[in-house]
Amino acid sequence: MSIGGSDLDKAISQLRACRPIPENQVRELCYKARELLIEEGNVVGVDAPVTICGDIHGQFHDLMELFRVGGDVPDTNYLFMGDFVDRGFYSLESFLLLLCLKVRHPDRITLIRGNHESRQITTVYGFYDECLRKYGSANVWRYCCEVFDYLALGALVTGAATSLPPTSAPLADNANPDSFPSDDSEIEVETLNAQGEIMYRYARNSDSQSSNPTSNPASSSPIAPTPSRTGAAGTGATSSANGSKSNDTGAVLCVHGGLSPLIDTIDKIRLLDRKQEVPHEGAMCDLLWSDPDEIDGWGLSPRGAGFLFGADIVKCFNHRNDLSLIARAHQLVMEGFKEMFDSTIVTVWSAPNYCYRCGNVAAILELGEDGSNAGFVRRSNGERGGGGGGWILGSNVDGNGNRRLSSVLGEGALGQRARDGPGRRYRVFEAAPQDSRGMPAKKPVADYFL
Amino acid sequence: MMNGAPVDTHAPGHDVASSISRNGFTITTQKLPILKAGPIDEMHKKLGITPPEMIFGDNFARIEHAASGWNIDFNAFDALDRVDKTGDSMLKVSYSKEWQQNRQKQFEDIKEVVKPFDWSYSTDYKGSTAGPPFRPSEKPIPLALLKRPDPILFFDDVILYEDELADNGIAMLSCKIRVMPARLLLLTRFFMRLDDVVFRIRDTRVFVEFATGEVIREYTAREEKYEVVRKTLAGTKEDVLAIMRDPNRLAQYIPVVEQSLENAVLQ
Ligand SMILES: [Mn+2]
Repeated sequence: MSIGGSDLDKAISQLRACRPIPENQVRELCYKARELLIEEGNVVGVDAPVTICGDIHGQFHDLMELFRVGGDVPDTNYLFMGDFVDRGFYSLESFLLLLCLKVRHPDRITLIRGNHESRQITTVYGFYDECLRKYGSANVWRYCCEVFDYLALGALVTGAATSLPPTSAPLADNANPDSFPSDDSEIEVETLNAQGEIMYRYARNSDSQSSNPTSNPASSSPIAPTPSRTGAAGTGATSSANGSKSNDTGAVLCVHGGLSPLIDTIDKIRLLDRKQEVPHEGAMCDLLWSDPDEIDGWGLSPRGAGFLFGADIVKCFNHRNDLSLIARAHQLVMEGFKEMFDSTIVTVWSAPNYCYRCGNVAAILELGEDGSNAGFVRRSNGERGGGGGGWILGSNVDGNGNRRLSSVLGEGALGQRARDGPGRRYRVFEAAPQDSRGMPAKKPVADYFL
Repeated sequence: MMNGAPVDTHAPGHDVASSISRNGFTITTQKLPILKAGPIDEMHKKLGITPPEMIFGDNFARIEHAASGWNIDFNAFDALDRVDKTGDSMLKVSYSKEWQQNRQKQFEDIKEVVKPFDWSYSTDYKGSTAGPPFRPSEKPIPLALLKRPDPILFFDDVILYEDELADNGIAMLSCKIRVMPARLLLLTRFFMRLDDVVFRIRDTRVFVEFATGEVIREYTAREEKYEVVRKTLAGTKEDVLAIMRDPNRLAQYIPVVEQSLENAVLQ
């Protein structure tokens, strides 16, 4: 049986219901996917608007929640930065669904490789066992691993807008509109909760320390500082970025882990031979495994393998490659996303309540399309009011004294004029409700341990 | 740095403190989500080492005896404070040698190991105590009494911290406690598997007999090379990978390297 057209749609709806598809369909699907992926370069070019997602780790129901919050494929253009499998209970359904969507809408979804998309790691961390349990043989695991070898190593997003279009999204219950920038300022960052309500908002070049909505003397907006709550969703593209430098943003590089000392230009990533198991060392390994850290230059992980890289490395790489931002995943961040080094790199984490016990939230990052400024569609879901209103504006300065906004971007550590970062809209969400998982809430079961 | 900062999130499976009292002993556990960026930074500073990836800094398990002023408390901070912070007992991942050799040819200038410490978060933590001290003892925990199917009045399982060792295994510290009508047992277990390198299981058991006020604390450390355990298991009919993830079944295959017994009688 071949998988295509209506068969593919059938497989998609079966997987959406979290039911595995038959082994012969998996084989067919993986074959099709490989044919597609082999045509992709090591660094896939992606046009904004796009929604960037981090680790999923087999948390199928939370992936469904992600699609609810971020919009469905193909309405929303997605880029997943790897680690689809392992840890969670539904690696198989999660990965196969993403793969089906890739085959069905190749231009609307980009999948890049994480360090868990590897034979070695999946045998230790769950995916192999899950395939064996669900199919009684390792065939499906083997088909999937063959697909892993063809996944791209990175993606380059171009055409992202420097500022977010004003939206008519309502404010979250405990948002503090007084801290919001004035209506005519360029919005650089906005954070929305799972109901699509604005939790907070920053203007470009604003001093977020004490952002004062009335401090802009140029403000001549007839609308009072109170954000408008009216108007149809997604139609707020009235006052765009005032023309000054709206086309100025560099590209955004997306990789699972981070940089490598072997890679100083994106072209060097393009030259790698990626169609193999993830090696234990070398550039391909580094891209999938390395982490940013508060250090100078490059460092060795105390574990004896793996690199850490500091702010100077990121700023230098971004400058050299005309990037405004690196988006990566790989590390759990409790708040769903974490910008570092004057917003030159961001970690995006998309597995809420990781391993079903961490209680963390997840996030996705939306980059709008330059020019039209209308790439965003607000996805409201009125039914779920009340649930997650608990969001506040965090401290504006982190423990290391880093300023939160890229207002300091202009004078980077290397004295280089850095590119303005793209406008970034983060949607933050919690784990899918327990009842949607078809399993009871996990209460510890009393046992006579000794 | 900026990030979203949720408050009041009440994640499934995460409850606030729960508690029970028996014969003057009060047992309390608290389970909350992992710490947010702010508290992690604070802990990082206080500890002087990078905290584990998943740090349940608000969780604890505590046994108190008000009359004598005695208590024992298990929490992540105190456990991590006992992790080696010098790097003297630092482990290396299995492929470290291979990785280093290949790397050195190209990047001899990248030598510095960033902030060395025992990143396996191995701790010999036996709980934080106050009040009448424990004294060395010979008297073991009466297992026969604990094997009886007495009703369990209170049970909890509390994680204190967990780290995936950057996908090289697992390190986890957690407490289990069960309270029966006449006695209780608490088990705090540190479990660490560094893939292809080593296994460690370090158990602290606290037993309380309510009627006599007797408390027994037993510490048992087990350790064995990964390869030795794997070979032993390969000779059995067991599912090797599954057992290697399950400290309960694994313990019997790992020899004891250290053991101590103490007790205290509270009035
Ligand atoms: Mn990863």
